[in-house]
Amino acid sequence: MTTHQGDWTMALDEEARMTGENAGTRQPVLAVRQVTKRFGAVEALIGVDLDVHAGEVVALVGDNGAGKSTLAKIVSGVLQPDSGQVRIAGEPVTIGSPAAAHALGVSTVFQDLALCENLSVAANIFLGRELRVSASGPMDLARMELESTKILRDLTVGVPSVLAPVRDLSAGQRQAVAIARTLTTRPRILVLDEPTAALSVVQTAEVLMLVERLRAMGLGVILISHNLADLRSVADRIEVLRHGRNAGSFDAATAAPEEIIAAIAGATRVAMPSWARR
Amino acid sequence: MAGSQTALREANRATVLDTIRRYGGLTQVELAAATSLSAATVSSIVRELQGAGAVDVRTTVRNGRRALLVTVLHRTGLVVGVRIGTRHMAMTLADSAQEVLVEQTLPLPHEHRADTSLDRAALLIVELLERVGSSPEELLGIGIGVPAPVDVATGTISVPGILRGWDDVPVGEVMSRRLGVPVFVDNDANLGALAESRLGAARHFQDSVYVRVSHGTGAGVVLGHQLHRGFAGTAGEIGHVQVDASGAVCLCGSRGCLNTVVGVPALIDVLRASRGPLSLRDIVTLASEGDPGCRQVVEDAGATIGGVVAALAISVNPQCVVVGGELAETGETLLAPLREAIRRRVPLNHIAPLEVVGAELGARAEVMGAVLLALEGTTLLTHRVDHPDRDRVPG
Repeated sequence: MTTHQGDWTMALDEEARMTGENAGTRQPVLAVRQVTKRFGAVEALIGVDLDVHAGEVVALVGDNGAGKSTLAKIVSGVLQPDSGQVRIAGEPVTIGSPAAAHALGVSTVFQDLALCENLSVAANIFLGRELRVSASGPMDLARMELESTKILRDLTVGVPSVLAPVRDLSAGQRQAVAIARTLTTRPRILVLDEPTAALSVVQTAEVLMLVERLRAMGLGVILISHNLADLRSVADRIEVLRHGRNAGSFDAATAAPEEIIAAIAGATRVAMPSWARR
Repeated sequence: MAGSQTALREANRATVLDTIRRYGGLTQVELAAATSLSAATVSSIVRELQGAGAVDVRTTVRNGRRALLVTVLHRTGLVVGVRIGTRHMAMTLADSAQEVLVEQTLPLPHEHRADTSLDRAALLIVELLERVGSSPEELLGIGIGVPAPVDVATGTISVPGILRGWDDVPVGEVMSRRLGVPVFVDNDANLGALAESRLGAARHFQDSVYVRVSHGTGAGVVLGHQLHRGFAGTAGEIGHVQVDASGAVCLCGSRGCLNTVVGVPALIDVLRASRGPLSLRDIVTLASEGDPGCRQVVEDAGATIGGVVAALAISVNPQCVVVGGELAETGETLLAPLREAIRRRVPLNHIAPLEVVGAELGARAEVMGAVLLALEGTTLLTHRVDHPDRDRVPG
C-alpha cells in the first residue's frame, strides 16, 4: 500500500519536471491576456495580464474591489470576460462554466469551502464525483475511503480520520479537506481564495505548509489573501491589482513589504528604509 | 493462536501510541476512527497504556459533548525548542526527558520582521501546549535559535546587519515577557552542534564541529563536550570568512564572504538563467533527483565550504565534522566534495582521523539543540557529559 501511495501525484510531478527542463523559456500553464470585465459603470478588470507556471505560487493582492475575486472567477469559469484571452498550456480556451474549468484542469477553493457538515471527510472529498463499483453500480465506499486517506497523506495533512463528519473538524482541517477534494480531478491550476482567513496560527501554519506541498507537486497555485505576511511566506511571485488594473509584479524572494504595500495603496513614491535602497 | 493474538495486541498498542504522538492529543472516539480499531479495542488499549504510565486521559468537551482526551504522558516540565530561519520557523514541544510531544513548521516571508515573527512564535507555543492538553503553567523554558551570532547573556543578535529587522531586539526578553518563562537564545548552528554532540553523530567525540549549510553557512564548535561560543557569540561564523577578495560585499560589511558565494541567493542567481527562479527547496529536490545543473552548483558549494571548514579544522582539531542544514539533505552531493576539500588540506594525524559525516538528527538538529539549551538552562537536564577521556575514537 505504501509503495503505491502517491501514484496520482506522480503524474503531476512528471509533468512539472518536464516543464522544468526548459525553464528558461518555459510556457505558463495559465496565461491571462488583456482581460476586461465591466459590471455597468464598474470597471472590475481592465486589460489584466496574469501568468502562472507549473510549480509556482502566484499571490493576488489588492484592496477590496481591486478585482482579485473577479479575476479568480473568470479563471474558474464562474464569470466570462468581456474581452481578452485565457490560455491554458498555450492553447486559447473559453471557460464557459465551473465544469468546463474542471475539465481544463482548473480547480477553485472558494472562501465558504462548500463542504457538507454532516458528511464524512471521504464523502466530501468525492462529493459529486463518487467512485462506483461499476458504471451504474453502488458507490465504492471502501475505495473512496482508501483514496481519500492517500490524498490526505500525500498532502501530509493532519486529519485524524476520513470517516469523521466534517462538522467535527477544525477550520484548518476543513480547508485541507476542501483542497484535497479539488485534487481528485488532478488539476494543473488551483485557485485558493483567502485560505488563511480566520485561522489560528497553528492552522495557518498547516495551510501554508499545504500550499508548499501543492507547489512541490507541480501545481500552479493562485493564492488570494489580505494577509501580506502569509502571502509573502509561500508565494513565488506577488501580483498587485488596483482598481481592476495590474499595479505591479514582485518577486517574493526579494521584494520588501514596503514596495508591495505602496503598490496596493497606489503610492507613487515609495518611502524605503535605508537598507532597502540598493 | 495465542501468540498471534498477543502480537496483534502489541501492534495495535503501537499504532495507538503513534497516532496520539502524531496529533498531540485525540479523544477516544477520534482515536478509534484514526486507527480503524473498534471503540472497545481502543478503550481497552488506552486503559492498558494508562496503567503502564504511557498515556494520560482526562475529560474534555468536543462539540458540546463530554469526551475523553488521550495524550502522551509526559514528565513534569515542558520546554519548547524554536528555530527561526530565513524562510521558516520550526518548533518542537518536548518534556524533560527530551520526549517530543508535538512539532510544527510555519513558512515565513522574506526578511520577516522580529515583531510579527515573535508574536506568531508566542501564539504557536500557546496553541501547541493546548494541543497536547497542557496549560502554559507547565511550560518551564524556551530555547530559540536564530541565523545570526547571538550575545547569549542578553539574548540579542551581536553583529548588526546580518538578520535584517532583528538588530537590537532583545529576543529573549521579548519572549520571556510574553510567556513568563526563562528564554535562552543562541545561534542556530551552535544549537545544531549542541544537539549533534549530545544526541547525534558527534556523541562519541569530545571535540566536534557542526556545519550548517542553509540560506547562509555557519558552524558550531564543541570543545571537550562543551559549546564554544566565543565572547560575543561569533565563534564558528564561517559564513563570513573571505573566499573571494574581489567578490560582492556581504551583509556584515566585509567583502567576498563565503555566504556571498555559497549562500542561497548566490546559488539561485547562477541557476536563474537556465532553470528559472528556484527556491532552496527546489534546488535540494532537483539536486537529489540528479538534475545536472543543480548538482553541480551544490557540489561546487560543498568544495568551497570544505576549504573554509578545513581551516577551522586545522585551528581546533576536531575528531568529527557533522554537516547539517537543508543543503545537506542532498547527501553525498554536498558531502563528498566537502569531505574531499577537508581531506586535501587538513594534515592527517595518527591518533584520530577526521570524520566528515551528515547530521544524524537531520532537519531536527537545531530545534532539538534549542530543547537541550532550554533544559540545561532551567537545570531540568542534570545529565552532562563530563568525562573528557571517555570516548577515545575507536581505531
